[in-house]
Amino acid sequence: MTLHPAFVSYEFANRKEFCLSIAAQSSRRVMLVPPLFDEMNRMRKMLVDVMRSLEALGVGSFLPDLPGTNESPIPLEQVVLSDWQKAIKACAEQYQIRHIASFRGGVLAVASMKAAEHWMFTPVRGATILRTMLRTKVAADREAGLTTSLAELTTRAEAGPLELAGNIIGSELFAQLNGAEIPDLEHQRIVRLQSDNKPTDGQITGSALWLRAEPDDDLEMSSAIAQDIANWIGQ
Amino acid sequence: MQNEVELTPEAAVRAVMRDILGLSEEQVAEFTAETELFGALPELDSMAVAGLLTELEDRLDIMIEDDEVDGELFETFGNLVAFAEMKVTE
Repeated sequence: MTLHPAFVSYEFANRKEFCLSIAAQSSRRVMLVPPLFDEMNRMRKMLVDVMRSLEALGVGSFLPDLPGTNESPIPLEQVVLSDWQKAIKACAEQYQIRHIASFRGGVLAVASMKAAEHWMFTPVRGATILRTMLRTKVAADREAGLTTSLAELTTRAEAGPLELAGNIIGSELFAQLNGAEIPDLEHQRIVRLQSDNKPTDGQITGSALWLRAEPDDDLEMSSAIAQDIANWIGQ
Repeated sequence: MQNEVELTPEAAVRAVMRDILGLSEEQVAEFTAETELFGALPELDSMAVAGLLTELEDRLDIMIEDDEVDGELFETFGNLVAFAEMKVTE
Protein backbone atom coordinates (compact mmCIF):
# COMPACT_ATOMS: atom_id res chain seq x y z
CA MET A 1 0.00 0.00 0.00
CA THR A 2 1.35 3.38 -0.92
CA LEU A 3 0.81 6.00 1.72
CA HIS A 4 0.26 9.58 0.74
CA PRO A 5 1.48 12.68 2.54
CA ALA A 6 -1.11 13.82 5.07
CA PHE A 7 -1.46 16.92 7.17
CA VAL A 8 -1.55 16.34 10.89
CA SER A 9 -1.15 19.02 13.51
CA TYR A 10 0.88 19.48 16.63
CA GLU A 11 0.02 21.45 19.74
CA PHE A 12 2.17 24.38 20.62
CA ALA A 13 1.35 27.39 22.81
CA ASN A 14 -2.36 26.45 22.82
CA ARG A 15 -2.43 26.51 19.04
CA LYS A 16 -2.41 23.85 16.38
CA GLU A 17 0.45 24.12 13.91
CA PHE A 18 0.47 22.12 10.69
CA CYS A 19 2.81 19.24 10.11
CA LEU A 20 3.10 17.19 6.93
CA SER A 21 3.54 13.48 7.59
CA ILE A 22 4.05 10.24 5.71
CA ALA A 23 3.70 6.83 7.35
CA ALA A 24 3.23 8.41 10.77
CA GLN A 25 2.57 5.00 12.35
CA SER A 26 5.91 3.53 11.31
CA SER A 27 8.10 2.37 14.20
CA ARG A 28 11.14 4.10 12.63
CA ARG A 29 10.41 7.77 12.20
CA VAL A 30 12.21 11.02 11.79
CA MET A 31 11.33 14.70 11.94
CA LEU A 32 12.61 16.94 9.17
CA VAL A 33 13.21 20.50 10.37
CA PRO A 34 13.00 22.81 7.35
CA PRO A 35 15.43 25.60 6.42
CA LEU A 36 14.42 29.18 7.21
CA PHE A 37 12.67 31.85 5.12
CA ASP A 38 13.25 31.70 1.36
CA GLU A 39 15.48 28.67 1.63
CA MET A 40 12.51 26.73 2.97
CA ASN A 41 10.43 27.55 -0.10
CA ARG A 42 13.23 26.64 -2.45
CA MET A 43 13.81 23.30 -0.73
CA ARG A 44 10.29 22.22 0.19
CA LYS A 45 9.72 20.02 -2.87
CA MET A 46 13.12 18.42 -2.23
CA LEU A 47 12.19 17.74 1.40
CA VAL A 48 8.86 16.16 0.46
CA ASP A 49 10.73 13.97 -2.05
CA VAL A 50 13.00 12.92 0.85
CA MET A 51 9.86 11.96 2.80
CA ARG A 52 8.59 9.85 -0.10
CA SER A 53 11.96 8.12 -0.42
CA LEU A 54 12.07 7.52 3.34
CA GLU A 55 8.69 5.85 3.17
CA ALA A 56 10.04 3.44 0.54
CA LEU A 57 12.85 2.62 2.99
CA GLY A 58 10.38 1.92 5.79
CA VAL A 59 10.87 5.19 7.66
CA GLY A 60 7.96 7.46 8.59
CA SER A 61 8.56 11.20 8.59
CA PHE A 62 7.17 14.50 9.82
CA LEU A 63 7.78 17.97 8.39
CA PRO A 64 6.40 20.57 10.83
CA ASP A 65 5.70 24.20 9.99
CA LEU A 66 7.75 26.49 12.17
CA PRO A 67 5.47 28.99 13.98
CA GLY A 68 5.08 32.11 11.85
CA THR A 69 5.88 30.29 8.60
CA ASN A 70 3.77 28.50 5.96
CA GLU A 71 0.22 27.97 7.26
CA SER A 72 0.99 28.97 10.85
CA PRO A 73 -1.85 30.85 12.60
CA ILE A 74 0.51 33.46 14.03
CA PRO A 75 2.42 36.16 12.14
CA LEU A 76 6.20 35.80 11.85
CA GLU A 77 6.62 39.25 13.35
CA GLN A 78 5.56 37.87 16.77
CA VAL A 79 7.92 34.90 16.70
CA VAL A 80 11.23 34.58 18.56
CA LEU A 81 13.89 31.89 18.11
CA SER A 82 12.93 30.04 21.30
CA ASP A 83 9.37 29.63 19.89
CA TRP A 84 10.84 27.61 17.04
CA GLN A 85 12.93 25.56 19.46
CA LYS A 86 10.00 24.88 21.79
CA ALA A 87 7.66 24.11 18.89
CA ILE A 88 10.01 21.52 17.39
CA LYS A 89 10.43 19.95 20.81
CA ALA A 90 6.65 19.87 21.34
CA CYS A 91 6.12 18.22 17.95
CA ALA A 92 8.81 15.61 18.67
CA GLU A 93 7.27 14.83 22.06
CA GLN A 94 3.74 14.61 20.71
CA TYR A 95 4.72 12.10 18.01
CA GLN A 96 7.48 10.43 20.07
CA ILE A 97 10.23 11.16 17.57
CA ARG A 98 13.81 10.68 18.76
CA HIS A 99 15.58 11.26 15.43
CA ILE A 100 15.75 14.84 14.15
CA ALA A 101 17.09 15.76 10.70
CA SER A 102 17.51 19.50 10.32
CA PHE A 103 18.39 21.34 7.14
CA ARG A 104 20.43 24.56 6.76
CA GLY A 105 19.07 27.19 9.22
CA GLY A 106 16.69 24.57 10.65
CA VAL A 107 19.61 23.47 12.84
CA LEU A 108 19.11 26.64 14.90
CA ALA A 109 15.67 25.35 15.92
CA VAL A 110 17.00 22.08 17.38
CA ALA A 111 19.76 23.52 19.57
CA SER A 112 17.90 22.86 22.84
CA MET A 113 17.17 19.18 22.16
CA LYS A 114 20.29 17.82 23.79
CA ALA A 115 19.07 14.25 24.28
CA ALA A 116 17.83 13.66 20.74
CA GLU A 117 19.74 12.06 17.87
CA HIS A 118 20.63 14.74 15.33
CA TRP A 119 21.34 14.60 11.60
CA MET A 120 22.22 17.95 10.02
CA PHE A 121 22.41 18.93 6.38
CA THR A 122 24.75 21.82 5.47
CA PRO A 123 24.21 23.65 8.77
CA VAL A 124 24.45 27.44 8.64
CA ARG A 125 24.84 30.23 11.19
CA GLY A 126 21.95 32.64 11.66
CA ALA A 127 24.12 35.63 10.72
CA THR A 128 24.87 34.09 7.32
CA ILE A 129 21.17 33.73 6.50
CA LEU A 130 20.45 37.29 7.60
CA ARG A 131 23.38 38.66 5.60
CA THR A 132 21.95 37.33 2.33
CA MET A 133 18.51 38.72 3.20
CA LEU A 134 19.99 42.13 4.12
CA ARG A 135 21.90 42.19 0.83
CA THR A 136 18.72 41.43 -1.08
CA LYS A 137 17.07 44.39 0.63
CA VAL A 138 20.02 46.69 -0.15
CA ALA A 139 19.69 45.67 -3.82
CA ALA A 140 15.90 46.15 -3.84
CA ASP A 141 16.28 49.54 -2.18
CA ARG A 142 18.87 50.54 -4.76
CA GLU A 143 16.44 49.66 -7.57
CA ALA A 144 13.88 51.89 -5.83
CA GLY A 145 16.39 54.75 -5.76
CA LEU A 146 17.27 54.44 -2.06
CA THR A 147 20.78 54.05 -0.71
CA THR A 148 20.99 51.74 2.29
CA SER A 149 23.80 49.62 3.71
CA LEU A 150 24.11 46.35 5.61
CA ALA A 151 25.17 48.24 8.74
CA GLU A 152 22.28 50.72 8.54
CA LEU A 153 19.69 47.96 7.99
CA THR A 154 21.15 45.98 10.90
CA THR A 155 20.70 48.99 13.17
CA ARG A 156 17.11 49.41 11.97
CA ALA A 157 16.35 45.71 12.48
CA GLU A 158 17.60 45.88 16.06
CA ALA A 159 15.24 48.77 16.79
CA GLY A 160 12.01 47.38 15.34
CA PRO A 161 10.43 44.96 12.88
CA LEU A 162 12.09 44.96 9.46
CA GLU A 163 10.80 43.47 6.22
CA LEU A 164 13.51 41.36 4.60
CA ALA A 165 12.77 39.55 1.33
CA GLY A 166 9.05 39.45 2.18
CA ASN A 167 9.52 38.33 5.80
CA ILE A 168 8.69 40.71 8.63
CA ILE A 169 11.28 39.91 11.29
CA GLY A 170 10.92 41.29 14.80
CA SER A 171 13.92 42.87 16.49
CA GLU A 172 14.24 40.08 19.06
CA LEU A 173 14.28 37.32 16.43
CA PHE A 174 16.75 39.33 14.35
CA ALA A 175 19.16 39.73 17.28
CA GLN A 176 18.82 36.06 18.28
CA LEU A 177 19.42 34.82 14.74
CA ASN A 178 22.35 37.18 14.32
CA GLY A 179 24.03 35.56 17.32
CA ALA A 180 22.91 31.96 16.65
CA GLU A 181 25.82 29.61 16.01
CA ILE A 182 25.58 26.09 14.60
CA PRO A 183 24.77 23.88 17.62
CA ASP A 184 27.39 21.40 18.75
CA LEU A 185 25.36 18.49 20.16
CA GLU A 186 26.43 15.24 21.68
CA HIS A 187 24.79 12.94 19.15
CA GLN A 188 25.08 14.51 15.75
CA ARG A 189 25.98 13.57 12.20
CA ILE A 190 26.77 16.42 9.79
CA VAL A 191 26.22 15.79 6.09
CA ARG A 192 27.25 18.15 3.29
CA LEU A 193 27.34 18.32 -0.48
CA GLN A 194 30.36 16.88 -2.22
CA SER A 195 31.24 20.39 -3.48
CA ASP A 196 31.39 21.71 0.10
CA ASN A 197 34.87 22.18 1.62
CA LYS A 198 33.82 22.24 5.29
CA PRO A 199 34.37 19.44 7.86
CA THR A 200 31.76 16.71 7.46
CA ASP A 201 30.74 13.21 8.60
CA GLY A 202 29.29 12.32 5.21
CA GLN A 203 28.88 13.67 1.69
CA ILE A 204 25.98 13.67 -0.75
CA THR A 205 26.16 14.30 -4.48
CA GLY A 206 23.79 17.07 -5.46
CA SER A 207 23.40 20.79 -5.76
CA ALA A 208 22.72 23.68 -3.41
CA LEU A 209 19.02 24.18 -4.19
CA TRP A 210 18.86 26.96 -1.57
CA LEU A 211 20.97 29.18 -3.82
CA ARG A 212 18.72 28.90 -6.86
CA ALA A 213 16.61 31.78 -8.10
CA GLU A 214 13.54 29.50 -8.21
CA PRO A 215 12.42 26.43 -6.23
CA ASP A 216 13.72 23.28 -7.86
CA ASP A 217 14.12 19.60 -7.10
CA ASP A 218 16.87 17.02 -7.36
CA LEU A 219 15.45 13.51 -7.08
CA GLU A 220 18.85 11.86 -6.95
CA MET A 221 19.91 14.09 -4.07
CA SER A 222 16.60 13.54 -2.20
CA SER A 223 17.00 9.81 -2.55
CA ALA A 224 20.63 9.93 -1.35
CA ILE A 225 19.60 12.04 1.67
CA ALA A 226 16.81 9.59 2.52
CA GLN A 227 19.24 6.66 2.25
CA ASP A 228 21.75 8.38 4.54
CA ILE A 229 19.03 9.19 7.09
CA ALA A 230 17.67 5.61 7.01
CA ASN A 231 21.17 4.17 7.55
CA TRP A 232 21.76 6.63 10.38
CA ILE A 233 18.50 5.65 12.14
CA GLY A 234 19.35 1.97 11.75
CA GLN A 235 16.92 -0.89 12.30
CA MET B 1 35.05 13.48 10.53
CA GLN B 2 36.60 14.66 7.26
CA ASN B 3 38.55 17.90 7.72
CA GLU B 4 38.17 21.21 5.91
CA VAL B 5 39.71 21.28 2.42
CA GLU B 6 41.40 24.46 1.15
CA LEU B 7 39.68 25.94 -1.90
CA THR B 8 41.32 28.22 -4.46
CA PRO B 9 39.32 31.42 -5.07
CA GLU B 10 38.67 30.36 -8.66
CA ALA B 11 37.41 26.93 -7.60
CA ALA B 12 35.12 28.57 -5.03
CA VAL B 13 33.65 31.01 -7.58
CA ARG B 14 33.14 28.17 -10.07
CA ALA B 15 31.43 25.99 -7.44
CA VAL B 16 29.10 28.79 -6.32
CA MET B 17 28.18 29.71 -9.92
CA ARG B 18 27.43 26.06 -10.56
CA ASP B 19 25.13 25.86 -7.53
CA ILE B 20 23.32 29.12 -8.27
CA LEU B 21 22.75 28.43 -11.96
CA GLY B 22 22.11 24.70 -11.53
CA LEU B 23 24.79 23.79 -14.09
CA SER B 24 26.77 20.60 -14.49
CA GLU B 25 30.46 20.45 -13.65
CA GLU B 26 31.25 20.26 -17.39
CA GLN B 27 29.17 23.36 -18.18
CA VAL B 28 30.77 25.47 -15.49
CA ALA B 29 34.25 24.20 -16.44
CA GLU B 30 33.72 25.99 -19.78
CA PHE B 31 33.51 29.40 -18.08
CA THR B 32 36.50 31.54 -19.03
CA ALA B 33 37.64 34.96 -17.79
CA GLU B 34 35.59 36.53 -20.63
CA THR B 35 32.33 34.68 -19.88
CA GLU B 36 29.65 37.33 -19.34
CA LEU B 37 27.57 37.03 -16.16
CA PHE B 38 25.12 39.74 -15.02
CA GLY B 39 22.76 40.55 -17.89
CA ALA B 40 23.80 37.47 -19.88
CA LEU B 41 22.47 34.95 -17.36
CA PRO B 42 18.82 35.62 -16.42
CA GLU B 43 19.07 33.41 -13.31
CA LEU B 44 21.64 35.79 -11.89
CA ASP B 45 19.21 38.34 -10.48
CA SER B 46 19.84 40.58 -7.48
CA MET B 47 18.66 37.92 -5.05
CA ALA B 48 21.03 35.36 -6.56
CA VAL B 49 23.86 37.90 -6.37
CA ALA B 50 23.11 38.38 -2.65
CA GLY B 51 23.37 34.61 -2.12
CA LEU B 52 26.52 34.43 -4.22
CA LEU B 53 28.34 37.04 -2.13
CA THR B 54 27.40 35.36 1.15
CA GLU B 55 28.45 31.92 -0.15
CA LEU B 56 31.81 33.28 -1.27
CA GLU B 57 32.32 34.84 2.16
CA ASP B 58 31.48 31.54 3.78
CA ARG B 59 33.57 29.30 1.53
CA LEU B 60 36.65 31.55 1.38
CA ASP B 61 36.38 32.91 4.92
CA ILE B 62 36.36 36.55 3.77
CA MET B 63 34.11 39.58 4.42
CA ILE B 64 32.78 41.59 1.49
CA GLU B 65 31.74 45.19 2.24
CA ASP B 66 28.88 47.04 0.53
CA ASP B 67 31.14 49.54 -1.19
CA GLU B 68 33.24 46.81 -2.79
CA VAL B 69 30.25 45.56 -4.78
CA ASP B 70 29.43 47.27 -8.05
CA GLY B 71 28.08 46.30 -11.46
CA GLU B 72 31.54 45.80 -12.89
CA LEU B 73 32.24 42.99 -10.43
CA PHE B 74 29.58 40.81 -12.06
CA GLU B 75 30.31 41.73 -15.67
CA THR B 76 32.50 38.73 -16.32
CA PHE B 77 33.61 35.54 -14.62
CA GLY B 78 37.20 36.86 -14.75
CA ASN B 79 36.27 39.99 -12.79
CA LEU B 80 34.64 37.92 -10.06
CA VAL B 81 37.61 35.53 -9.80
CA ALA B 82 40.07 38.46 -9.67
CA PHE B 83 38.01 40.05 -6.88
CA ALA B 84 37.93 36.78 -4.88
CA GLU B 85 41.71 36.38 -5.33
CA MET B 86 42.26 39.93 -4.13
CA LYS B 87 40.04 39.36 -1.05
CA VAL B 88 41.79 36.20 0.16
CA THR B 89 45.19 37.92 0.13
CA GLU B 90 43.91 40.92 2.11
